[in-house]
Amino acid sequence: MKKKINKGTLRKILFYVGRYKIHLFFSIILAALSVAMTLCMPVLAGRAIDLAIGKGRVDFEGMLPNLIGIGVLAVLTAASQWIMNTLNNRITFRVVRDIRNAAIEKIQILPLSYIDSKPSGDTVSRIISDADQFADGLLMGFTQLFTGVVTILGTLGFMVSINFKISLVVVILTPLSLFVARFIAKRTHSMFTMQAKTRGEQTAYIEEMTGNKKIVDAFSRNEKTLEEFDEINERYQKYSLKAIFFSSLTNPSTRFVNSMVYAAVGLAGAVAAVGGSITVGGLSCFLSYANQYTKPFNEISGVIAELQNALACAERLFELIEQEPQKPDAPDAAVLENVDGRVEMENVAFSYSKDKELIRNLNLSVESGNRIAIVGPTGCGKTTLVNLLMRFYDVDEGKISVDGIDINAATRESLRRSYGMVLQDTWLREGTVKENIAMGKPDATDEEIIAAAKAAHAHSFIKRLPKGYDTVISDEASGLSQGQKQLLCITRVMLCLPPMLILDEATSSIDTRTEIRIQKAFSAMMQGRTSFIVAHRLSTIKNADVILVMKDGNIIEQGSHDELMKKEGFYCGLYNSRMDAC
Amino acid sequence: MKKLLVYLKGSRTQCVLAPLFKMSEAILELFVPLVVAGIIDTGIATGDKNYIIKMCLLLVLLGAAGLAFSVTAQYFAAKASVSFVKRLKHALFEHIGKFSYTQLDSQGTSTLITRMTGDMDSVQNGLNLTLRLLLRSPFVVIGAMIMAFTVDSRAAVTFAVVIPALSAVVFGIMFSCIPLYKKVRFALDKVLCTARESLTGARVIRAFCKEEEQVEEFRERNDALTVIQEFTGRISALMNPVTCVIINIGIAVLIYAGAIRVDAGLITQGAVVALYNYMSQILVELVKFANLIISITKSVACAGRISAVLDIPAEEDSGKEKISAENENIVEFRNVSFAYEGAGDNSLENISFTVKRGETVGVIGSTGSGKTTLVNLIPAFYKATKGQVLVGGADVNEIPLEELRNSVSVVPQKAVLFKGTVRKNMLWGKPDATDEEIMKALEIAQAKDFVMQKDGGIDAPVEQGGRNFSGGQRQRLTVARAVIKKADILILDDSSSALDYATDAAMRRAISENQGNTAVFIVSQRTSSIMHADKIIVLDDGTASVGTHEELLENNDVYREIHLSQFDEEEGA
Repeated sequence: MKKKINKGTLRKILFYVGRYKIHLFFSIILAALSVAMTLCMPVLAGRAIDLAIGKGRVDFEGMLPNLIGIGVLAVLTAASQWIMNTLNNRITFRVVRDIRNAAIEKIQILPLSYIDSKPSGDTVSRIISDADQFADGLLMGFTQLFTGVVTILGTLGFMVSINFKISLVVVILTPLSLFVARFIAKRTHSMFTMQAKTRGEQTAYIEEMTGNKKIVDAFSRNEKTLEEFDEINERYQKYSLKAIFFSSLTNPSTRFVNSMVYAAVGLAGAVAAVGGSITVGGLSCFLSYANQYTKPFNEISGVIAELQNALACAERLFELIEQEPQKPDAPDAAVLENVDGRVEMENVAFSYSKDKELIRNLNLSVESGNRIAIVGPTGCGKTTLVNLLMRFYDVDEGKISVDGIDINAATRESLRRSYGMVLQDTWLREGTVKENIAMGKPDATDEEIIAAAKAAHAHSFIKRLPKGYDTVISDEASGLSQGQKQLLCITRVMLCLPPMLILDEATSSIDTRTEIRIQKAFSAMMQGRTSFIVAHRLSTIKNADVILVMKDGNIIEQGSHDELMKKEGFYCGLYNSRMDAC
Repeated sequence: MKKLLVYLKGSRTQCVLAPLFKMSEAILELFVPLVVAGIIDTGIATGDKNYIIKMCLLLVLLGAAGLAFSVTAQYFAAKASVSFVKRLKHALFEHIGKFSYTQLDSQGTSTLITRMTGDMDSVQNGLNLTLRLLLRSPFVVIGAMIMAFTVDSRAAVTFAVVIPALSAVVFGIMFSCIPLYKKVRFALDKVLCTARESLTGARVIRAFCKEEEQVEEFRERNDALTVIQEFTGRISALMNPVTCVIINIGIAVLIYAGAIRVDAGLITQGAVVALYNYMSQILVELVKFANLIISITKSVACAGRISAVLDIPAEEDSGKEKISAENENIVEFRNVSFAYEGAGDNSLENISFTVKRGETVGVIGSTGSGKTTLVNLIPAFYKATKGQVLVGGADVNEIPLEELRNSVSVVPQKAVLFKGTVRKNMLWGKPDATDEEIMKALEIAQAKDFVMQKDGGIDAPVEQGGRNFSGGQRQRLTVARAVIKKADILILDDSSSALDYATDAAMRRAISENQGNTAVFIVSQRTSSIMHADKIIVLDDGTASVGTHEELLENNDVYREIHLSQFDEEEGA
């Protein structure tokens, strides 16, 4: 639990909090004020009670100012508490908002190598849950830690001012409740671990069986599954009971310790009162302080754990925010416009990690309007080529140019706008079908959208969706098949018609007949546009102007289908092996 | 909601005892101010130190007894809530097991998983808190008031005013916050959605140069979240200050009223201290109570969601007809049409065909033409919206589900294996399969070689989802799992897409050699996979044409087109 807290993290948090300096300043002043006033009230109450000694011996005139004082103080305290809370809320929520904004801005300029290498769920949880927990911790820290400490110091001061000896009793006994709480927490830790482990097991089982319920049904395994589930459920109940019960001992135990403190104060106070060194009002006021004094101790241990957690979360957030971004576009970067589609690669070398060379010395010259097919076994670098063309990754050595302009000297935006891209991994954003199609051309008319969908053979399934083009879909839960998603992604590109085209296994989940029809539509629409097609279906590849055969990061053969077949090399072997198998 | 109470049945005693013990603890707590009053009025007034010591020991004793009561209460509460949730989980899991595919589609598995996990945890926590505290706090509040009245009824009138005022404030703020919290949750979900999109769609967003827009959208949603958070914060931050004002003004009035009674000689100074203490106790309890209610409202919402799932009537399984072993026509479709729930158009339109035992049927068509939908109607995963599907001469809706599913064996498109071992996965197909049977099935599915190469052979471990096998290996194992069942009908739904042509061909050959009396349906996009079938069903936009390879090549444009797209023209001719 005791994790070294990074001082740098604290400083970074302060940087963000620093924007709300004035808020913070007033919040601290108000906290001190409200604690001081809260503590004054028992004193006034005690004084008032002291003035009511017995029958006929009540000093009403002396009492009244005290009582009115309580009322006024209560109102003032309440006002300052509310303003303080509002300020704290504002600081926390805005700090978190600022940090989140910084994070999302960073994500847009992070190199894709970062995004590719980290599970997206982890990064999302940094931006959402870590930020949330950080906010909770920060808020608790602001409100409770500060007021808690001030309360302890304040009550201590007041108690000492009333009676030193009795204060000593309180100071010595109070830490007992902390020890008890810690003792129990230590013992219960292992039970919580067991509970968490079993809960994980149960969740995994539920996900496995509910997520694949259709298969469970197909094999009529419902009963057997329920039996297995019950076994885990039984174990979970056992550990859960232990964890809940033992951890719930903390409260009654500390309460018991506190009641002992209370009794001890009562004893010491009463004895002192008999001796005349304290008044009855003083005692009643003392007892109420003793109560207030012990409370923050219990809270503070919780707050500290919470704060530690908050710092850990902040650290994870800053880790994201401080990632090295991709190299920004040069200020004098060229803007590619209406490109012809001449693409050259000269001596290109690239690898994802330094110790594993992938592409070396790659040379390629593509004429405007050419249709380039890229084939080769898995892992030969086909998709890498796409990454380099789009500048998702920058080359390590050599140069890629479009229309003679080095793409590293052009703006990323203008380069990417020159390409239309459809990937094997389809991605749709949350929104309607129409919005998804119009992503590359937001001002497209309905007619244009429908025409594009018809060309991509997506129209017939779209109109069968519950709300046709206005059906809301998202990447995860859309009920669309992989093939249908690919059709939508193709429609998206069909609509905006950029001068160059990249299809990376874009039709892998679409049947061959539809695929050929789409190809036809593409060739019609892409007349005179350069296109790169990565595919494993040889039927898709045969009609390309140039076929690049890649192996181990290099182009080993290059030419048209007929030329390559005549050569009887790697491509010929690949093509024939597929035919033989039929 | 109320229906959930049934699952408390086995824990009735604990549900009564837990609050009872908790209340006993509270009663003891109420005596504390009285004892303190005694110390002041008797002990200090007379200077009797023995009395003071005795009374302080009594305070310790009260504390110890309170501890004992409270621990007992915690135990019963924990026991009851854990058992309740265990029973509820069992019931829900069983209930979900009975859902039909259509129900599953409309609910979505991810929400069902949340019901089973997060919501259950919240319900368990809520019940535990309820049993422990729900009765305690009002009891302490009312108890403190009653005690105050026994001390002095005139001065205690203040309580009768303060308590309702406090309750109004606490509950008023709380209930206005609950819907606000929901709004915060909703706003946060929106922020989350944009954040996730920025990551999962990084390539597409950058390819379409949408980075700026993405940041803009995030900022907007983030601002909306902050606004609603701050507003909610302002309201909920009222709770402490307002209660504090009421209580303290109450205290001032109380002391004054008490003083008047002291002046008249009707009560003692100690009694005023006692009254003052009761007032403080009430404040502490009310704040606790408000927090408790917030937690409980959350659990009640979760319980409502669980209950809603339980309320969905499970698919009726009242069929009584038998699959006739004599009937030669194992599968028959009679004018079958089908539309998914909520869909605009029919996915299948007026389809009729008959399949005999031992026949092989190919199903082919474009993406989205309804191939999977067609075969899913045979084991009644979905029910035909029009027409009749018959298996062994009986309408599938009239056959008990267990019997129907035992006579149909399916290899789904998505190759899913379950955590355990290869053997355990095979036993899904046939619970009493011998080693020889398993080996035979693996052999047919062309899976024997790679399974034998694994450590442990057929007892080799399978990770969740079958992650430790490649896509092609998983597909072959799911085929083996289905083949071992030796059912009347075997459905292979595009289950060789990840296999190379040679393996696919070898597998099909092995299946047909061991086919016997089983009718085999092969769904595929490749004509090469189905051209030798006895019957081929070609689907085009939901309508079907049936024939043999040669017939279809001759008469069916769609089939010819599919075939030609996959073969060189000279080979196809």
